[in-house]
Amino acid sequence: MPEEEGSPSGILVSGRYSLASVALTNLDPASRAAARGWSDLTIRNMFIIPTLAFLIVFNIFPLIYSLGYSFTNFAANRSEPWQFVGLQNYRELLSDDHIWSNFIITAKYVIVSVAGQMIVGFGLALLLNRSFPMKGLITTLLLLPMMMSAAVVGLFWQLLYSPSWGPINYAFGLGDFAWLSNPDSALYAVAITDIWMWSPFVMLLSLAGLSAVPQHLYEAAAIDRAGRWYTFTRITLPLVSPILLIALIFRTMEAFKTFDIAYTMTTQPTAELLAIRLYKQAFQQWDTGKSCALAYIVLIMVLAITNLYVKYLNRVKER
Amino acid sequence: MTQIELRGVQKFFGAVQVIKDLNLKISDNEFIVLLGQSGCGKTTTLRAIAGLETIDEGDILIDGKPVQHLKAADRDIAMVFQSFSLYPHMSVYENIAFPLRATRKSKAEIDSEVRSVAKTLQISDLLGKKPSALSGGDMQRVAIGRALVRRPKAMLMDEPIGALDAKLREEMRAEIKRLHIKQGSTTIYVTHDQIEAMSLADRIVIMHEGVLQQVGTPDEVYSRPANLFVAQFVGSPVMNVTDAAVAEKASSVSVTVGDAATGFEFPSTLLSKLNVHAGGGLALGIRPEGVLIRREAADGFMAVETQIVEPLGSFDIVDLKVGSNMLRARTKSGFISGPGEKVFARIDPTQAHFFDKASGKSLEVRL
Repeated sequence: MPEEEGSPSGILVSGRYSLASVALTNLDPASRAAARGWSDLTIRNMFIIPTLAFLIVFNIFPLIYSLGYSFTNFAANRSEPWQFVGLQNYRELLSDDHIWSNFIITAKYVIVSVAGQMIVGFGLALLLNRSFPMKGLITTLLLLPMMMSAAVVGLFWQLLYSPSWGPINYAFGLGDFAWLSNPDSALYAVAITDIWMWSPFVMLLSLAGLSAVPQHLYEAAAIDRAGRWYTFTRITLPLVSPILLIALIFRTMEAFKTFDIAYTMTTQPTAELLAIRLYKQAFQQWDTGKSCALAYIVLIMVLAITNLYVKYLNRVKER
Repeated sequence: MTQIELRGVQKFFGAVQVIKDLNLKISDNEFIVLLGQSGCGKTTTLRAIAGLETIDEGDILIDGKPVQHLKAADRDIAMVFQSFSLYPHMSVYENIAFPLRATRKSKAEIDSEVRSVAKTLQISDLLGKKPSALSGGDMQRVAIGRALVRRPKAMLMDEPIGALDAKLREEMRAEIKRLHIKQGSTTIYVTHDQIEAMSLADRIVIMHEGVLQQVGTPDEVYSRPANLFVAQFVGSPVMNVTDAAVAEKASSVSVTVGDAATGFEFPSTLLSKLNVHAGGGLALGIRPEGVLIRREAADGFMAVETQIVEPLGSFDIVDLKVGSNMLRARTKSGFISGPGEKVFARIDPTQAHFFDKASGKSLEVRL
């Protein structure tokens, strides 16, 4: 058999490459793995198979199974047989005013919270993007909120918002204003907490983006007599916008799913986010089939919105 | 009219002094090249003039006004960077228009200026492209366009063609010279390439370890180097420098190179000129073209043996063994066939340079 041009000799098996033998040749013969008779392929599989198994059991299977439930009247706490109800759950949900109000509340929350995080986070990153004493320590301290448990943050901010002795009312001279039980302010109070907690995340990504802007571009801009604002809008912002968009995607997805902070902080119906509604439907009313349908509606919405962002991100990257 | 003057400029990076008491006057429309090895302070000097680097002492004057406290934007100086520094997210048009937009010129004015500069640089067909789609030479043309478009008081260029390949470098060198002649603005150009410096400069400023070594026209620094550093830094192939001893003979003077048995013949006037500088050891500097070779013995020629021959196309460089020293001579290409040939050599006294070995300074002997 004539040897193919450019093919490394010794690993040509019946005119085509054997993947295993290619992998075997790559392994360091002196390594312990080689001594045990493992190939690179074996090692690769050892990492991939558990991950795949985990994904299938805990993500893909429930995803498909719950899609099936969303077309039934299944209730997880009853042993009665369930029935296929077709699109009835979806129909009922989409014509339920209560659910629509949850959507509107969630939309308001996402807009306020994500916008706040982007502004505060990017602002902090701009302040930190220079050298000053104790920069490392200050950056670490600013990152702390992000590392806390959301439930703890919720309880902690409940104390800060306390009408009778909370430091927030004291600092702003708001008397006994009840942030969390006032129907008008409850949602925004939760959003402010979320902004406090997650702005550091945006800050971290923005800092990475800002430090990736080459210094020589700023020098060129200074030579070109560009002022600070002009440099910021024409150079800094366009160059960090891809990473800002990534932060925006992450934070929007997360904000849509917000449950813990809001659940621990307030019981106000005006702050009932979709995730809370979903929780109540699934685990208080035990309406499992319908809650699966609601979860799917939320999933489709989040996918649609992130898809829009990703399209925009690709456009920005092409620029 | 733009004159730039540096007076007693000093610059430290921590404990390291990178510019040492630099004094320099640059006249209007002059093309000055700062030449030196990397780390000699030439780029720092340029950046200090641009306002990208602060100075620790001294004055930088533009048209007689001290500017060392002004920001880069307020000095009205344009700069071309080695890394091009084009704005990657903007088209070529937007890049060139940037300095005009930054100073809020009218749209019509910007458009006409950008197009006229693009025409001068022959990049009109590239205006819609992004920098990432350009070749190195075109990127540098755009960078030069961005500097030219605002008609600055002075142009600073930091190794602008250093990142290009050899052929393109030669082309761009000619283009920069042509542009300078056409536009005529005061230009300071930094390079470590002495050929670039020789071909472009009205005057060359040679720096070494933060200290100015010599300022002069290309011809001056080449044919009358002020010290050993300049002598060996300028010129390719490099000037031969060896220890030398002078001995008086009947009607002439013999200059012995290193530990050679016999010396080269020099006119007797050399002695009187050297006597003025009586002092430490003597170094002889002679460029390869000042070492003359012939095949037959003749008066004043010394028998030597050839070693390595480097054919360089239009000429050859031949190493001649003189005692334990080597003298590099420039010959017609193919004149010497290879190592081990016996030839006769002489040093052209008019091309010889004598330096004080201790200080490295030229003794200014002209024969």
